[in-house]
Amino acid sequence: MARFAQVWRTSTVRLTATFIAIFVLFAILLMGFIGWQSSVQIQRQQADDIDREVALFQRIEANQGIRAMAFALDRLSRQPGPGIYYLSDASGQYLLGNMNNVPPEVLINPGVYSFSYHQPDPLSGDGPPAPPGAPQRGGVAVVRSVELPNGMRLVVGRDVVERRGYSAIILQSFLVGVVGIILFSIVAGGVTARRVLRRIDTIRATSTKIMSGNLSERVPVTRRNDEFDGLATNLNAMLDRIEQLLQGMKEVTDNVAHDLKTPLTRLRNQAEAALREGTSEETRERALETVIAESDRLIHTFNALLMIARAEAGTPSGALSDIDVGPVVADVAELYGPVAEDAHIVLVTDIDEGVRLRANRELIGQALANLLENAVKYARPEDGTAGQIVVSLKARDGRALIAVADNGSGIAAADRQRVLERFVRLEKSRSEPGSGLGLSLVNAVARLHGGTFRLEDNTPGVRAVMDLPLP
Amino acid sequence: MKILLIEDDREAASYLVQALDEAGHVTHHSADGETGYAMASGMDYDVLIVDRMLPRRDGLSIIESLRAEGDKTPVLILSALGEVDDRVTGLRAGGDDYLVKPYAFTELLARIEVLARRSSPAEAATSYAVGGLTLDRLSRKVERDGETILLQPREFRLLEYLMKNAGKVVTRTMLLENVWDYHFDPQTNVIDVHMSRLRSKIDKGHATPLLHTVRGAGYMIRE
Repeated sequence: MARFAQVWRTSTVRLTATFIAIFVLFAILLMGFIGWQSSVQIQRQQADDIDREVALFQRIEANQGIRAMAFALDRLSRQPGPGIYYLSDASGQYLLGNMNNVPPEVLINPGVYSFSYHQPDPLSGDGPPAPPGAPQRGGVAVVRSVELPNGMRLVVGRDVVERRGYSAIILQSFLVGVVGIILFSIVAGGVTARRVLRRIDTIRATSTKIMSGNLSERVPVTRRNDEFDGLATNLNAMLDRIEQLLQGMKEVTDNVAHDLKTPLTRLRNQAEAALREGTSEETRERALETVIAESDRLIHTFNALLMIARAEAGTPSGALSDIDVGPVVADVAELYGPVAEDAHIVLVTDIDEGVRLRANRELIGQALANLLENAVKYARPEDGTAGQIVVSLKARDGRALIAVADNGSGIAAADRQRVLERFVRLEKSRSEPGSGLGLSLVNAVARLHGGTFRLEDNTPGVRAVMDLPLP
Repeated sequence: MKILLIEDDREAASYLVQALDEAGHVTHHSADGETGYAMASGMDYDVLIVDRMLPRRDGLSIIESLRAEGDKTPVLILSALGEVDDRVTGLRAGGDDYLVKPYAFTELLARIEVLARRSSPAEAATSYAVGGLTLDRLSRKVERDGETILLQPREFRLLEYLMKNAGKVVTRTMLLENVWDYHFDPQTNVIDVHMSRLRSKIDKGHATPLLHTVRGAGYMIRE
C-alpha cells in the first residue's frame, strides 16, 4: 500500500491517470452521442413504418373495401412483433386489434401519440377488453390515428420497448468499449510511467551516489538520444564543471594552507623572538618591524586571493560599466614609467584611441599593474642590451587586445599555462618578491570581462595579452 | 580633535581609542549602531569612524540618517568588505572615505586628519604656499623662492594634493587613490619613485627640504 502511495505520488502516474480519465470521459460522450443519434434514427424509422402501414391500410380500404382492410389488420395484429393495431367505430368502440385501452383523445383527434398500453393475449384471439385475469402484455406505444372515410378510427403503432432493445445493445457495447479503453489505458499508462520512472530512478540513484561523496559518478546516457539523454548529457557536463571547480578549490586550499602558513610561521617566530628575554631594544624593534611587514604581505596575499575568487565567481552586479580603456592603460603605464626608468628599462606605449569596453576600470588597472610589475622585474635581456617594455592597446576584429610585452628571458612554452595558476612561481622568480598570484588575477579579470588571457612568445621575452571582446 | 568611534569589536576599539589618544585626540566609543547613532546626532564631533557591520543598526544606515538630518561631520567607513562595489555603496551612503580592514593605524590616522580638515573652508583655496614654495591652481604655476619649477601634469597633481594637506601625513595609498584614482595596493615602490622625482624637483639645491618622508607612514610637506 505504501508502495502504491509512493508510485501514485509520482507526477508521471498522476499525469497518466488524468489522461485516462479524460480519455474515458470523451469515450462516454462519444458513445452517448452515437446512442442518442441511433435512437433518433430508430424513432424516425418507426414513424416511417407506421406512416407506410397507415397508407397501406387506407389504400386497401379505398380499393377493396373496409372488410379487406379489417381482415388485413386482424392478420397483422395477430403476428408477434412490435406492431400495434386498433380499429374502432365512430363512437370509439373497439372492433379489432391487439390493444384494448386506447385513450379517448387518440380516437377523437387524429394524430401522433405516445402512451402506455395493455395488450390482450394475442392467442386468446379477439374480443374487447381482455378477460379479467388474462395475461397481459403492455408497454409504451407510439401510434398514429386516422379517421377512415366511413368514420371508423384506425390506430397503427409500434411498441417502443422494441426500440429500447436497441438501446440496450448500444449500452452494452458501450460498456464493453469503455471498460476496454480503461483497461488498455491503465496498461499503456503503466508501461509508459514505468519506463519514465526507471529513467528518472537512474538519475536519482546517480545523484544519491554523488551526494554521498562519489563525485566521479555520471548519469548513464543511452543511445536513444531522447530528452532524457539530453538531460543526462547536460547533468554530466554540469557535474564535470563542478568536479573541476572543486578540484581547483582543493588545490587552492592546499596552496593557501602552504602559502599562508609559511609566512604565518615566520610571523609567529618573529613575535616570539621579540618577546624572548634578554633581547636588546634594537633587536626587538627590528623584530616588530618584520612582524608588520610580514603581516602586510599576508594581507596582500589574502586580498589578492579574495579578488581572484570574486572575479572568478562572475560579474558582481554593477561592477562593469562602459569605459574608455585608453586612459586606463595610459595611466597605469605612466604610474610604472619612473620605476621602469630607474631599472634602466625603456617603457613605450602604443595605444589606440577611443576603445570603449564594458569593463571595471579598477580591475583592468590592477591587472595591468600586475603585468607591469612582472615586466619591470623580468625585462632584463640576457645579452645585456637595454630592457624594453611595450604597453599596447589595440582594437581589431571585435576584440580589444591589451598587451604588455618585454624582451627579457621569457617563459618556456611548457610553463605558460601553468604560471596562470594560483601560487605557481617558476624557479627563476623565487628569488624575487611576489605572491605567485599576479597572473592568476590577470587571468580571472580577463575571464570576468568575457575574454581570455594568454602568454605569447615575444622572441625574446614574453608578451602578455588580455584579449577582451568589444561590446 | 574630537572623534566618535562606532565599532563592535571591543579589542580593536580599545586599541584604537588608546592609539588615537596617544596621537592627541579625544575619542568616544560606542559598541553598537543604535547608541552610536544617538551619540553622533547628540554631540558635535570632528570626525566619525564607523564600522559597516554593527549590531542593532548597520553603519551605512547611521550615515544615511545623519546626512538626511543635515549633519555634515566627515565620516570614515571601516569595513572588511573591500570590493569596488562595496566602496562605491559606502561613499554613496554619505561616507567621505573608506578604509578596508585590516589597516595600518598610521593609515587610519592620516586619513582622519585629512578628513577633519576637509570640513574647514580651506578647501576652496586657489593657491597654496608652504615655506617658499607656492602652487597656483589656476595658472598651474609652481615656484620656489621666485624660481619657476616645471612639473609634469601628474607631478603637479601630486604636489597639489600634498600642499592641500600641508602639515599632515599622506600615505602611499592615499596618493594612489587621490592622484591616480586607483584603490589597489601596488607591491613595488611605484609611489616612492614618483615622490623621489618630485622631491628632486622641489628640494634640490635648497638648504631646507620641504618634502619629508614619514617613516612607516608616508609623506608630508611642511616648512
